[in-house]
Amino acid sequence: MTLRSFLRHEAVLGFLLIVVLFLLAQQSDKFFTTANILNQGRLMAEVGLIALPMTFVIITGGIDLSVGSILGLCAILLGVFWHNLGLPLPVAMVLAIVVGGIAGLINGLIITRFKVPPLIATLATLALYRGLAEGISQARSVRGYPDWFFVLGQGEVLGVPTQLWILVIFAIIAAAILGLTTFGRATYAVGANETAARFSGINVDRTKLLIYTGAGLISGLAAVIFVSRVSTTRSDMGTGVELDVITAVVLGGTSIFGGRGTIIGTVVGLILVQALKNGLALSGVKGDGTIVVIGLVLILAILATNLFSRNGDG
Amino acid sequence: MTTTLATEDASATPLVQLRNISKTFGGIKVLKNVDFDVRRGEVHALLGENGAGKSTLIKILSGFHHPDEGGELTVNGAPVAFSAPRDARNAGIATVYQELLLFPDMTVAENIFIGHAPRTGMALDWNEMRRRARALLDDLDSPDLDVDARVGGLSVANRQRVEIAKALSQDARLLIMDEPTASLADADVRRLLDVVRRLRARGVAIIYISHRMPEIFALADRVTVLRDGALIGTRPIGEVDDAALVSMMVGRSIDQLFPKVTVPIGAPVLELRNVSFKDEVQDISLVLRAGEILGIAGLVGSGRTELALTIFGITPATSGEILLNGEPVTIRSPRQARDIGIAYVPEDRGLQGLVKAQTIRENVSMALLSRISRASIVNRALESSMARDAIARFGIRARGPEQRAGQLSGGNQQKVVLAKWVATNPKVLIMDEPTRGIDVGAKSEIHALMCKLAGEGLAVIMISSELPEVLGMSDRILVMNGGRMVKTFDRSEATPDVVGAAMTHAGAAHGRAEQAGSAP
Repeated sequence: MTLRSFLRHEAVLGFLLIVVLFLLAQQSDKFFTTANILNQGRLMAEVGLIALPMTFVIITGGIDLSVGSILGLCAILLGVFWHNLGLPLPVAMVLAIVVGGIAGLINGLIITRFKVPPLIATLATLALYRGLAEGISQARSVRGYPDWFFVLGQGEVLGVPTQLWILVIFAIIAAAILGLTTFGRATYAVGANETAARFSGINVDRTKLLIYTGAGLISGLAAVIFVSRVSTTRSDMGTGVELDVITAVVLGGTSIFGGRGTIIGTVVGLILVQALKNGLALSGVKGDGTIVVIGLVLILAILATNLFSRNGDG
Repeated sequence: MTTTLATEDASATPLVQLRNISKTFGGIKVLKNVDFDVRRGEVHALLGENGAGKSTLIKILSGFHHPDEGGELTVNGAPVAFSAPRDARNAGIATVYQELLLFPDMTVAENIFIGHAPRTGMALDWNEMRRRARALLDDLDSPDLDVDARVGGLSVANRQRVEIAKALSQDARLLIMDEPTASLADADVRRLLDVVRRLRARGVAIIYISHRMPEIFALADRVTVLRDGALIGTRPIGEVDDAALVSMMVGRSIDQLFPKVTVPIGAPVLELRNVSFKDEVQDISLVLRAGEILGIAGLVGSGRTELALTIFGITPATSGEILLNGEPVTIRSPRQARDIGIAYVPEDRGLQGLVKAQTIRENVSMALLSRISRASIVNRALESSMARDAIARFGIRARGPEQRAGQLSGGNQQKVVLAKWVATNPKVLIMDEPTRGIDVGAKSEIHALMCKLAGEGLAVIMISSELPEVLGMSDRILVMNGGRMVKTFDRSEATPDVVGAAMTHAGAAHGRAEQAGSAP
C-alpha cells in the first residue's frame, strides 16, 4: 500500500520531468545534445551526492542545514592538508572526508544526546563550520593540484564524467540500504513514530547518529569532487548548497514531517531541478527567473503530494 | 425512556436534549441512537466503562464531533447544529476536561477572560478584568485564589477552579465535567463537590462524569448509563444503588465476561528484588511464574506503568536486581529487554505501540527485523508470510498484510501490537491497559488470546485500570500505590471490595500528597 502510493507519486513526478524536458527541448536545440546532458550530470553530482544522505535525514523527520558548510570546511582542509602540511594528496583527500564524517557525527551527537531539534542544531553548525573554514583559509585559495587529481571532477570514464559514475553507484547503494535493509526500516520507523520505534527495540539514537555522520562523510566526498572540478580551494565553496539539496529531496516526494520518501524520488527531483536550471538558461531566461520557476515547481509538487496522501491515508 | 422520570421538579423543556444521536468513526458505530437530556439546576451523572461512548457523547455536545444524520440536538427546545466548539460555547455549553486546557504562563485573570476580555475602546480593561475574575472566584468559594497568580504555579485543584470560573465567565448554562476528581486529594474533592452544588443551586445544569460511586450518590439527581455506545437507561438517583449501576454498566456477570482458563503454573521466570526507579517505583519485589497472569491494579499515577517501563528498560532501574530464569540480568534499554525475552504491549497504542502510517507487515516485523534478515537484507517473503500468519492467528480483521495499521479499528490495532511482540517469542509479556478503548467483542478476544499465551507457558503481567478485568483475568493481583506494592491477593481472595480498598485507601494519602506536590 505504502510502496504503491510512493510509486504513484514518483510516476507523476516522472511524467512532470518528461513534460519539462520536452518543453525545454523545444526552446533550444542545444538542450538535448549528449555533450550538454553529460555536462549537466557533472554539474549536479555534488548536490546529488549530498541529496542521498539528506533523504535519510528528512525521512527520520530531521534536517541538516550544515552540509554546505561541511563541504566548504572539507574543501579548505583538503588544501591545507596537502599544500600547507605537505601530506600526500591521497591522504589529504581521505582526511578531508574523515573530517566531514566527524562534523556530521558532531551534528548527530548534539541532536541525540542533548535533544536539540535538528533545525537548530544544524543551523548552529552551519555557522560554526563555515566560520572555521573561513578562519582556516584566511581568504587565501589553494591552487596547483596535480593533473591526476582532476580526473575526479573533470575527467571521464567510458565517455561519462567520473563524478556521474560515483553518483550513480552511491545512489544504487543508498536505494538498496533504504529499501532493503533493517537500517532502512529503522529509518522509516524512526521518522513515522519515534516513540513506537524505541518501544519496539529499535536503537533510535544510533540510527540518527549514523545518518548524520553519513551526511557529513558524503559532504566531504562532494567537497573533494568540487575542488577537483573547479581546480581551486576557497572557503566560500558550497554556500547555499543545502537549499538545492533539500529542494531536490522534497521535490522527490520525501515528506518533511518524516516517515516517507525514496531515493528514486530524490534522483528524479534532482534531475528535474537541474534540467530546469539548464534548460531555462539555454532558453535565455535570466537566473532570477529560473529561481522563480523552481520555487513554483516545488510548491506544485508539494501540493500534489498532499493531495495524494489525503487520498491514500486512513 | 426519559418519560418515566417524574420525581424531579424539573421545568417543562430540558435545557439540552439529544434525540436518536449516533456517531460512526471509520465504519464503526461508537454511539447508537442515544437519547439524553439535561435540565436546569440538575446534576446528571454519566456512567459507563471505557469505550462506552461517554467521551464521544460529550464531544458531540461541545461541538467537536458532528453526530450522524438522523439525530437531533436541541437547546431550550430549539434545534441546533454545532459546526465548531465555538458554536457550543455560544450556546452556553462549557466543558472542563480531565487534562486542563489553560495557559500556564498567564495569570488567573487572563486565563479566565482569554478571548473575551473586557475592553475600553481598543485596550484591555485590566482593572475590570481583575475585578470580574475576583467576583467569579469568590462565587466559587475560592477567596484564597489570587487573580494575579501564574496559572502554571497552581495546584491541580486550583487550576480546575480557574477552568470552572472561565466557563462561568462565558455564561455557561451547561457545564460538562469529565472526571473532575480523578487527580484530586480528598479535601479538594469535598470542596469541588460544594462548588458543584453551589452551581446547581444557581440553576446551572451539570453533566458529571466519574467512576467514583460515592460522589455520584452524593451529587447526582439523575444518572445515565451507556454501554458499547448504546443507552442502557436513565434513572433518578433514588431508584438505583451501587450494584444496580454496576450491572447496568457491565451488563453481565464477570464470569461470563472473562474467559479465564486455569493453566498449570510453572517455574519462576522473572524475579524482581527491591527494584526501584527514582521515587516513581519503590522497592518492588515479586516473582512471576510461567503460565501465570499477574494483575497489577492501582490508580493512575500509582506506579503501575512506571514499573513496567522499568522492567522493559525505558526507565532502567536505579537500584535493585532483576533475574530472568534465575540469572541476574541488566536491562538498560528496550532493545536489551527484547533480546532477553521481555515484551511490552504499551499503554498508549497510537503513540508507543504502533507506527500507524506503516503497514501491518512492517509493524508486525518491527521488533525482530534482525532475526528475519541476512546480511542486513530483510527477507520480504518471510516477513509477508509472518504477517499473514499473525492475521490468521490473532484474528486481525484487515484486507491483508499491506493494509496500513492506522486504518484498523482499535481492537485490531491492539492485536497487531500483540502479534508484533508474540512474534519475538518472549518469555515475559507485559500488557499495559490491554483493552483500553476497544469494544467489548475485541476485548474478550484479547482476553482469550492472553489466556492462550499463558497456557503456552508465557508469564504475563497485566496492568489495568478496570477492576473487573484485573479480577477476572489474574491468577494473582498486586496492588500498587504511590510507587509501592501495598498488597497482593490470590485469585480466590480477591473481591472488588478488598482490592478497591487497597487501591484507594492504604497509603492513599501518600500518593496524593506526592501528586499535589508535583503539580506546579
